[in-house]
Formats: sequence, C-alpha cells, structure tokens
Amino acid sequence: MNSRRDFLMQISRAALAAGAAPSLLSLSSSPAAAQTESIPVPGEDGLIVRSFRFVDLETPVEYLNTWLTPIPHFFVRNHMHEPSELNPDLANSDWRLTVGGEVENPLTLTFSALSKLETHSVVNTLECAGNGRSLHRPQVPGIQWGKGAVSTARFSGPRLRDILQRASVKPTGKHVMFRGLDEVPGKVPPFIRSIPLEKALDSDTLVATHMNGAPLTRHHGFPARALVPGWIGAASCKWLTEIKILDSEFVGNFMSPGYRFPNQPIKPGDSVKPEDTHPLTALNVKSVISGPLDGAKLKPGKVSARGAAWAGEADIVKVEVSTDGGATWNLATLGHDRAPYAWRLWTYDFKTKGGDYTILSRATDSQGRTQPPTPVWNPSGYLYNAPDQVTIHVA
Amino acid sequence: MSHKQKKQEQQKEKQDTKQDERCMWGQGPLRQAQGRLSPVRLSAMLLALAITSTTVAATFPPTALAQKPTPAKTTEDLPPGAMQPKATTSCLECHEARIILQQRLSKPAWTKEVDKMVKWGAVVDANDRDALIDYLSTNFSPEQPPYEPPRTSMEKLSAKNGETKNAGTKTSK
Repeated sequence: MNSRRDFLMQISRAALAAGAAPSLLSLSSSPAAAQTESIPVPGEDGLIVRSFRFVDLETPVEYLNTWLTPIPHFFVRNHMHEPSELNPDLANSDWRLTVGGEVENPLTLTFSALSKLETHSVVNTLECAGNGRSLHRPQVPGIQWGKGAVSTARFSGPRLRDILQRASVKPTGKHVMFRGLDEVPGKVPPFIRSIPLEKALDSDTLVATHMNGAPLTRHHGFPARALVPGWIGAASCKWLTEIKILDSEFVGNFMSPGYRFPNQPIKPGDSVKPEDTHPLTALNVKSVISGPLDGAKLKPGKVSARGAAWAGEADIVKVEVSTDGGATWNLATLGHDRAPYAWRLWTYDFKTKGGDYTILSRATDSQGRTQPPTPVWNPSGYLYNAPDQVTIHVA
Repeated sequence: MSHKQKKQEQQKEKQDTKQDERCMWGQGPLRQAQGRLSPVRLSAMLLALAITSTTVAATFPPTALAQKPTPAKTTEDLPPGAMQPKATTSCLECHEARIILQQRLSKPAWTKEVDKMVKWGAVVDANDRDALIDYLSTNFSPEQPPYEPPRTSMEKLSAKNGETKNAGTKTSK
C-alpha cells in the first residue's frame, strides 16, 4: 500500500494547482539550502524533509516571516501513514464523521451535512510539541525537529461545540476523543487522543475543513481535522472520522506515556516516573529569528532582525532582542497583525560595524511567562523554548 | 463530450486552478490578484515578493539564488554493515531510514527504542537484538555529525493523470 504512485494520486488535485506555481520562493532559502538535495513533493515547497515515509516536513526558519504561512510552506507532522482511501470528490465520498459515546443523540455526518453548519474562522499558530527537539542535550529520540515545526494559518469550519450540542452530551461526558484515518503500521498503537470537554466547548475549537480559505490538503488532514487553538499540534487530529465523548481521559500511548511533561524540573538525562508527569495542553511562550540566518555574512550597516513570537492561549506582550550575545536587551517592534492564538511578527533594526554579532530573541507573554535562559530538558524533548540565537559575520 | 461541454470543463478547471493558486499561498500578497494568475504573472509576483523582502536582500548573495537543488533519493538506505539487511527488514517495513539516520542516541537509549519497536511489531530475532542495538548505537551515536536532510521541491505534474513526470522511485512497502 502507500506506494509513491498512490501517494501522488491521492494528493493530485491540490498538487496540480500547486505544481503550476513556480518554486521561486524556495530559491529565497538559505545559501546552505540552495546547495541541499531536493525531493519532489507536490504542494510542498522548500520544506526540510525529516521523513518521507511517513511524511514529516519542517518549515525552514526563513519562511516564518509572514503572519499567515502559505500552505506549501506550512510544516507537516504525521505520526502514521496518511489514509490511502480518500475520495477527493466529497459529494460522492463515503467519508463520515461519527459522534458517539456519552451522548443522547449519536450522529453520523456527511461532509455535506458538516458544511451546512455555521462556519467560524480562527487564526492559529500550530506547533508540534517536539519542535526544537534536536536542540536538547543530551539528545532524545523522536523526529529531530529544528526550529520550524511551527506555522500559522486561518483555519475555518464548524465549531466543535455546535456539533456536540446537536449530539447532546450527557452529564457523564468529560473528555472528547478524536480518531483520524491514519493507517497504522505493525502493532503501533493508533493515534488517538482526547481533550477535556471544557476545551472542546470553547467557541474557537473547530472541526476545520479549510486553511487560508482553501480546502484542507491531504497532508493537512483532508477533508476535516480538529483544530484545538493554542494547544500542542497533536491535539488537532487530522483526517478526523470519529468523535467520542468519554467519562475520563482517553487511555492510550499518545496520552501516556506520549505527550507528557515532568511535573518538576529534572536533571538532563534523568528519567521520570509516569505518575510524576502531566499531559501537555497549551503551548508555552517562544520566539524564533527568521532572519538574518545563522552564519550569514553581511556588509557593515543596518541589519533588520526579524521573527515571530507566540504563546499558545496567551498573548505576546513583548519581544526583546540582544545583539551582543545576551549581555543587553532591546525592545523589538511588534507587527500589527494579531489574533488570540496567532503569533506576532517582530522586527528590530540595528547598526553593525564589523565582526561577529550573536543575536538572541526572547518573548514574554500576558501570563507573565518569559522564555527561560536555558532549555527545560525532558526525556521526550517537548516544548523547547530557550531564546533563539543566530550569529552573523559582518565584514 | 461535445465541444461546448469540453470548453465549459476547461473553463471550470481554470477557475478552480485560480482559486487554488490564490488559496494555497495564503491570503497575503496574492489575495488581491484579479483574473487568472498565469504562471508568468505568478512568477513575477513571487519574484517581486522575494526581491522586496529584506530577508533576501540583506542575507542572500545573488549567487545563492541562482543555484538549483540537486535531486535526492526519495527514501534513504541504512549504512553498510553486517546488520544492514536485517535492520532494513526489521525497521524499514514501517518507516523510512531517515527516521533512524537523524537520531544521535546513546546505547541505553537505542536499547529502549529497539525494545519499544519490537513491542510495536518490528520483527527482530531474539538472537539479533544485541547486534542490532550495537549497529544502531555505533552508526548513530551522539558523536556523529548531524544528518543533513534534503528539502522538498514542487514539481510540474502531468495534468492528464496527476502523476509526477519523474515518478518511479520505489517507496512501496
């Protein structure tokens, strides 16, 4: 199954459109990237291939420079193989979304029925909990994401709340489980997770069918995905086909031991007992420098440092930039575009004479959280959020 | 199909493509574009975007922009060694080699990973377990330089069947 031919056929429609667009933006990647080998992946432009089978693609930092990330630059995280049987013709598709468990009225929705519900849009910065894993020391197993398992899009679709109201959740219902159509290899546990009912009923939690105004592409969960704004990407289940209301948190590998964080700081390299951990929910405060790139060689004069900063369910209140390796900090200018779960772009201009400059960025959010000076190590390498850092050479 | 029908189909396809082009690239600079975005016009817009971006202007020498990436293998192989064939059979049934190639782990960490994968269905003969762990921890230890991943490139597709022109690299299980 999942042969390259199938893979290509399945994404053909989105790919056809994308294929018509020239790949010019990919040429704007780093000098290093220009020399990098490439793999043709329709619809995905200049992304870093962490894995081709199954598909895990990282956004290079230089693409984290627009408030909305174009879909071909939006990172892709798959835990399993993508569904092989998905009819792109939704009118004739046998895709259904079922809603069951602790409800009075179990539902089975066609895509057409889903589309008739009121649509709501949320601009959300989606980040994989493992973003930055490769920066932890000692290194930990998992996809070795650099800084770019994060992107922002306008997600649209019906509110999950409206669907749950139609199903009428019983008082015993406390958690909402999502199951996607991912194809599970071997005896790997299925990618099933749950979120608390309270978050599911939030007016911004969606069953998203669109990103940036276009139908979801296959890589992003066509035809529908959960969108749990401000939370780790793993909460937003792709290729959604089943919603089940449970009386307690779902028990499965991707709830425990997966996606959990130590309750107390631990020494790098130490292990932690499962009972001393808690499930990951909202993202923490973080920033990234999208330019200049690490190692860039520049002429003396003005340099515009820029990037993005986000904080899950909280707002960014300030971004500070150091151009002297962290000795002194200066306020960056925040971009005008803003939304409750979306990153803020930032810029900081400074003058250079000559020599090396180490630029750092550090964000603070509305909950009073600031990026810690050193990474908070944990056995699975989640939520890396030390200040970002690049060094430029001016001569 | 009559000529008229054909024309209508083509018209619809054009409209769909226009919609997709606009949406695929978000609602940024291309949003205001009216009428069909010809590849040439789209090129010009993207080029303008790239040139006006201070990112590009400040950071990249023109020579870098002129370079084209070279094709990479779609999926990777595991490194040579006595255990390579068995590791290939045991591990690459479910995922490609890059997932292994990018890890930099100690022997205890590799031991945990191998045992987890066996639990998850990887077929490893009990007699091969230790040798497999040695093979992985020798080749992918924290002392090794980082794995350099390739990048994706969008490529033109044949409108006829949706296949890429150079499809054919084996990835089937």
